[in-house]
Amino acid sequence: MNIFETFWEYRSYFGHGIQYTLLLAAIGVVCGFILGLLVSMLRMSRFWLPRFLGTVWVEFLRGTPMLVQLFIIHYGLVSFGIKLTAIESGAITLSINSSAYLAETFRAGIQGVDRGQAEAARSLGMGKGMTMRYIILPQAVKSVLPAIGNEFITIIKESSIVSFIGVTDLMYQAQAVTTITYESLKPLLIIAAIYFVMTFTLSKLLGLFERRLSTDDQR
Amino acid sequence: MINVKDLHKSFGKLNILKGVNIEIAKGEVVVVIGPSGSGKSTFLRCLNMLETPTSGEIAFEGDSITDKKHNINLTREKMGMVFQQFNLFPHKTVLQNIMLAPVKVKKVPQAEAEKIALDLLQTVGLADKKDAYPSQLSGGQKQRIAIARALAMQPHVMLFDEPTSALDPEMVGEVLEVMKKLAEGGMTMVIVTHEMGFAREVGDRIVFMDDGQIMEEGTPSQVFGNPKNSRTKDFLSKVL
Repeated sequence: MNIFETFWEYRSYFGHGIQYTLLLAAIGVVCGFILGLLVSMLRMSRFWLPRFLGTVWVEFLRGTPMLVQLFIIHYGLVSFGIKLTAIESGAITLSINSSAYLAETFRAGIQGVDRGQAEAARSLGMGKGMTMRYIILPQAVKSVLPAIGNEFITIIKESSIVSFIGVTDLMYQAQAVTTITYESLKPLLIIAAIYFVMTFTLSKLLGLFERRLSTDDQR
Repeated sequence: MINVKDLHKSFGKLNILKGVNIEIAKGEVVVVIGPSGSGKSTFLRCLNMLETPTSGEIAFEGDSITDKKHNINLTREKMGMVFQQFNLFPHKTVLQNIMLAPVKVKKVPQAEAEKIALDLLQTVGLADKKDAYPSQLSGGQKQRIAIARALAMQPHVMLFDEPTSALDPEMVGEVLEVMKKLAEGGMTMVIVTHEMGFAREVGDRIVFMDDGQIMEEGTPSQVFGNPKNSRTKDFLSKVL
């Protein structure tokens, strides 16, 4: 059997894996984005307590392996009576882990927006929230879009670790096919190609989005 | 209209304002002059609380705006401000720049806000630029848009923080022209500027600041023609 035949023979395995990988990556991206935004706000708070909590969150999640975080959430929390399914644990781990990286990216973007922008908005009677939403965030997100894209791609790739706790994602399915066929290389090459198609498509889409935004205003 | 009592502002150990007292009447055009570092910009930025005063009181239309319980956003709706660096919103078109605050803050209906914005663009002579982005405008055009943006909130007073200092010399005139029209229309204005000719022509009152205090004030002919304070004399001899 050549690699194409292997792919075709076990297409339902790979198809199933794609679904779970995409599902987890999508949850990780969306929740990580929202959570990251919140954490970046904590990090920039006027008060020390939220700032401290934000820093702990970021430093802990950045400074420990994601696999360890995954195991803590999936196996460790059981001792507190919190039993999560493998998918739930995977989704939570990917979300909180990416939120830490995205929070730092957002913070850089927000602090990089010229102070005069906030002053102009405030001088027009806009409150803090409104200023953030209409003036600061659109400019901040735009300037850190490449870094956000990077993080999204990382999430897709890193989602493969959820196979460790039995989520039937691409990585898991490759191993399943190996078990059936005794072929170790072909299934891995197949999923490598699939991962690449996903990340490459995303990177092209983000590039398109970036160009569309930057046609608006070149400062 | 604006009443400032014993205003102090320090940044750490640096005392910028050392007790400023001034009363500004409705319809008055007050021009603040003085050497760099004299605290004139800080004074102006305290008027709408972009800088929080260290002590002292500022009252606007009878309300103490330095009071911690006072909602400063409501006051800022009535105080337009124009900055040295324009600070237009680069991700929005000219029209969106002008309409944003009226629509979001004052809840003016979209159509009405657009009408106000187009009228203002006419006034500042830039009606054809309504769909342009700030990056496509010259400095003078940006500043005129910034003035229109502030005016769209229909403020009771306009604060100008060195509005022509960042402009190429050939663009200063067009901005001053717009400001002059505004003054003639009866707008209350507080202007920090280095344009002495403009100060003399448009100002009802000239305020000379140095070392965080008001050293001298009076009509343009008093201050420019017959300065009393030695520091005023010294300053004017350098700039005139």
